[in-house]
Amino acid sequence: MSTATPSATPSPPPSAAPAGRLRAGAGLRLGRFRDLTLVPVIVVLLVVGAFVDPVFLTVGNLTNVLQQQSALALVVLAEAMILIAGKFDLSLESTVGMAPAITVLVIPATAGGSGLLAIPLCLLIGAAIGAFNGFLILKFQLSAFVVTLAMMIVVHGLHLGLTGGKSLFELPESIMYLGGATWLGVPASIWIAAVLFAAGIVGLRYFRAGRALYAIGGNPDAARAAGIRVDRVLWTVFVIGGALAALAGVLETGRLGGISANQGVGWIFMVFAASVIGGVSMDGGKGTVLGALTGVLVIGLVENVLTLKGVPGEWKQLVYGGIILVALMISRVAGGKAQD
Amino acid sequence: MRFGPVVAGAALLTIITACGSTGDDAAATGGGSGTASGGKVGIDFPRADSDFWNSYSKYVPQMAGELKVELMNPTNSQNDVAKLVANTQALVSQGAKVIVMAPQDTGAIASTLQQLENKKIPVVSVDTRPDKGKVYMVVRADNKAYGTKACEFLGEKLGGKGKVVQLMGALSSINGRDRAEAFRECMKTKFPGITVFDEPTEWEGSKAASMLQTRLEQNPDIKGVYMHAGGVHLAPTLQVLKAKGLLVQPDDPKHVFVVSNDGIPQEFDAIRKGEIDATVSQPADLYAKYALFYAKAAAEGTTFQPGPTDHDSTIISLPNGLEDQLPAPLVTKDNVDDQNLWGNQVK
Repeated sequence: MSTATPSATPSPPPSAAPAGRLRAGAGLRLGRFRDLTLVPVIVVLLVVGAFVDPVFLTVGNLTNVLQQQSALALVVLAEAMILIAGKFDLSLESTVGMAPAITVLVIPATAGGSGLLAIPLCLLIGAAIGAFNGFLILKFQLSAFVVTLAMMIVVHGLHLGLTGGKSLFELPESIMYLGGATWLGVPASIWIAAVLFAAGIVGLRYFRAGRALYAIGGNPDAARAAGIRVDRVLWTVFVIGGALAALAGVLETGRLGGISANQGVGWIFMVFAASVIGGVSMDGGKGTVLGALTGVLVIGLVENVLTLKGVPGEWKQLVYGGIILVALMISRVAGGKAQD
Repeated sequence: MRFGPVVAGAALLTIITACGSTGDDAAATGGGSGTASGGKVGIDFPRADSDFWNSYSKYVPQMAGELKVELMNPTNSQNDVAKLVANTQALVSQGAKVIVMAPQDTGAIASTLQQLENKKIPVVSVDTRPDKGKVYMVVRADNKAYGTKACEFLGEKLGGKGKVVQLMGALSSINGRDRAEAFRECMKTKFPGITVFDEPTEWEGSKAASMLQTRLEQNPDIKGVYMHAGGVHLAPTLQVLKAKGLLVQPDDPKHVFVVSNDGIPQEFDAIRKGEIDATVSQPADLYAKYALFYAKAAAEGTTFQPGPTDHDSTIISLPNGLEDQLPAPLVTKDNVDDQNLWGNQVK
């Protein structure tokens, strides 16, 4: 379609901070580390955790933290890409519960031995929800916020309606496998999250389609003028986002051994918290997948330290929120740039 | 956007007709309750996403048929006190003479109860005890007894020493608080040698799994788990224990003793398999039965006195009404096949 390369688009790619090229040297270095401003926070948390409980720094415990966060991490990955492209998707949290639930309702009816279809089917359901969101937002030109807010309710409503509000127990092994399996001594869900994040980091930094997200999020009209097929890229992002949320649902289902009627409900706040403290801008065009990943890790470590410390339930929320605020401040000071 | 208004209009129409048809279904079941004396009973269900409440909702039309109560179309307040208030007003304007509700927020319902009292409409509150405002009868199992029974069972199995985890419900719910406080209190007085770890899971399976996994990593010698709600805590707990290789028969020294609350069929299955050891059966069937029993009595103008009843329970006096404390049996391997338990009657 066009010969324009993404670097020619008005919005600068993430790896170079806006001032980076002008102020060479120090500016460029700072820019390189902008997505890693949470690293000091993680270090502080690791040190504090080690003092709180000797178990904290053991391989077993840290593996648990990663496993507990892997499903959330996939939703954060999806949301980070959508936010970078300047859009919104609140319905992801409902997909986390609904996609595996529908899969479980359909699979025993149709498949005897073809349980292998379970996960592709689940991903397809998630992708379909993403595609429908994309249709309403891009073709109908409705606001992404309002559309996905409505879809969050619709999708969760569908989940409740079709399951009759019951928790689903004793699920087929095909859908349980990924969430519970161990590969080379490490839970499979960690491998999956790691591979997908690596793909996300590389894709958004070095590939044309990935860099197009920044251009679109920064200024869609300019991106269109530069020859990026904006609608097509955005639609693809919504579809991938839906599929990632569905995969998160599969991992969560395997970890918990059942699908409760409110699986995924309330996740979206954690997802936004992780993305935003990880440096992804709510206005689009800024932030990185790696940054979002550090956001997930911070949330997981805080949760773990609070549990180990045995903070009383009444106070946990307060302490939790307070720690996130402090994390934001540390990352602001360390990063040296005003938060968007 | 050429097709905008037309499509949107058609879509809206479809949605509304779809809702209408489900409404008709409900009307059909409601209408099956037949003709009865005393006036119409309006009922609101508290939520649609919990196994226990769904069982309760299923028992209601059935019991209404048996008791010959004229039941209106049930409403559902989805765990939201604002919706409950709106639903109550709608039921009253449709001619309800008695209201059955289960206010999950026991404080915020006070002014609604006041308004209903002014209109001389009696209220039966199921499962929760409103803090203020007149109620005709509270139908509820003694949630403190759940905690105490679980504590006594675990304490005995552990021989009065060791570590146990308590997976707590939301602390904003009176039932979660009652269970947690009774369990803690009983452990402190009767089994001081047992350490209790409280995990505030907010009735969420995901949090329960993470917290239990972390706690087991920190204290591999944990020997007991008390779950406040089998519906949300059972599957995650079994999954965590299985991953740790601790899901073994009760005679194995590695066995972790698990006591649950609710009494859903899946818990009974787990008890039969030896994966968990006991549960307190919260009587969904009795909740539905006696809610409607008292609703009918209220419509007929009957009054009750505190004291023992004819169905193994005790009516106690509250500042704002009466409460019938229904029995909630402890289910273990010995009585898990008892056909009188509601968990054995549903499929």
